Amino acid sequence: MDDLQESAFPELSFRQAESKKMGGPAAIARQHEAGRLTIRERIDKLVDADSFREVGALAGTGSYDANNRLVSVIPAPYVAGLAKIDGRPVALGGEDFTVRGGTTFGSTRRKGGQGGFIEDLAFHYRIPLVNLIDGAGGSVTSLKRRGHSVFPGVHGFERSVQLLGLVPVASAVLGTAAGGPAGRAILSHFSVMVNDTSQIFAAGPPVVKRSLGQVIDKNDLGGTKIAVDTAGTIHNAATSEEDAIEQIRRFLSYMPANVWELPPVEESLDPIDRCEAQLATIVPEKRTQAYNMQRLVRMVCDKDSCFDLQPSYGKSVMTTLARLGGRPVGIIANNPMVYGGAMDVHSARKQIHFMELCDTFHIPLVFFVDVPGFMVGLKAEQEGTLREGMRAVCVAGKLRVPTITLVIRKCYGMAGMATCNKNDVDLKLAWPSAEWGSLPVEGGVAAAFRKDIMSAPDPTAREREIEAELKPFASPFRTAEAFAVEDIIDPRQTRPVLCEFIALAEQRLRTEVGLKPRYGVQP
Amino acid sequence: MSEIEINSPVTGTVWKVERAVGDQLQQGDVIMILESMKMEIPVEAETAGTLEKIHVAPEDPVNEGQRLCVVRS
Repeated sequence: MDDLQESAFPELSFRQAESKKMGGPAAIARQHEAGRLTIRERIDKLVDADSFREVGALAGTGSYDANNRLVSVIPAPYVAGLAKIDGRPVALGGEDFTVRGGTTFGSTRRKGGQGGFIEDLAFHYRIPLVNLIDGAGGSVTSLKRRGHSVFPGVHGFERSVQLLGLVPVASAVLGTAAGGPAGRAILSHFSVMVNDTSQIFAAGPPVVKRSLGQVIDKNDLGGTKIAVDTAGTIHNAATSEEDAIEQIRRFLSYMPANVWELPPVEESLDPIDRCEAQLATIVPEKRTQAYNMQRLVRMVCDKDSCFDLQPSYGKSVMTTLARLGGRPVGIIANNPMVYGGAMDVHSARKQIHFMELCDTFHIPLVFFVDVPGFMVGLKAEQEGTLREGMRAVCVAGKLRVPTITLVIRKCYGMAGMATCNKNDVDLKLAWPSAEWGSLPVEGGVAAAFRKDIMSAPDPTAREREIEAELKPFASPFRTAEAFAVEDIIDPRQTRPVLCEFIALAEQRLRTEVGLKPRYGVQP
Repeated sequence: MSEIEINSPVTGTVWKVERAVGDQLQQGDVIMILESMKMEIPVEAETAGTLEKIHVAPEDPVNEGQRLCVVRS
């Protein structure tokens, strides 16, 4: 079959073969020595076997002999096309670092990587886009070639921005990304980078040295410790390129193809009526004792269905894509092991992104609540915790997607407000260990009864006395009597209860597919 | 057989060390308890194994990410 094709169209076959050589064996060897895969190897690992339909393989720079006959072709430094991931079509592309370090080859029509063909393909067919980023971006060399300078990003980012409200966009930073590629990595719903072999920053060490006199190694400036753990610039870290690629596949498995579809439901092999006995005792009697919320969540969700977004950033909250009865859900669970679960500027930011992501792609949200309030103290105020926290409250207040609020233990203050969606049926469920209010009885008594306490012969005893008086009124069962919480459930029943409400949510979700416009200014 | 470094999830203080070097641990066993933000935070064994090393003592302040102990599994 191939022989027939080869003899029939020799120029086509030759040019296709040239394209597959990428930057040549020496450049490919250098890429491997640096612990990195080539773009074609990455695509191979990402997509279903034999599903890659490349577009633009013939783009490049041909060299011709004196008789104008083709001698060779240097391919364009970008490989792109259509493929299937888990049987579903996606658009994908990435820089070929073996060809001139992945920088542009200067044609008027870009294949991708900055408002190019592949972004248009994702847009026009309404399919997810995967960016496999391995390029340094703009270069001053194009100034000489073009003969004039142009506005930055003039035919560039507007499509990437537009895609964020239409289709899932996932980026893997697989090299050193600065400038354009760095920006593009961030214009995504999910981003991942590799420990030690990837970096991302606004500008790299040479520019930093020139501007600030600061001498710093590229990993110290923009490796995973900074970009993922400290700043949350990139969502997840990966231990290898294979891991990064697998995380992208995993992320996409919860997402619909676009906002006009519902998230894909899988057949669940995990029985819906599975009731874990441990749930009855996982919350300690002593209120100052922390417990493992991550384990709690995993006992409730479908087995092995949990995928954490930003696990190493904003750790006082956990944001996890999971399934309940085979249906994708977004779990937002406070982590009592970190600052008692208090919301700080990082966890607020992380929660905001996750809420918008799930809202946009019609993924119902479940809050597992144990939050004492915003983080307090000087550092928290300096970081602007209050403003970012109120931004989280604001975004929660605009959610259109069905939401369940399950109070495990504490639900206090404005941070507690950020776990309730009043636009929805306002379904609040609670465990018997739950407690809520504007502020806890302990701190509240000291403030509200200050005069009374200060004038008492034994102030400490008086404070305890008033606390003991008020405590019974704080019982969640009193709230349930007043129907100010919809129900208190046996913790062991959590899975079947949540599964039932999430299954019900589909009826509602089907009526709300489409664009989710956002109005108003965030605080 | 692997050595697992357990690092502190928070900045706080070591409150109680519950197990000793050489102890056999089951998954989920509490090795030590930290205190942070008035909360008692248990440090648990992620997998079954032997408690090989303890790097801290009660009342030691610890920073987020600081090495606490090593479990050999």
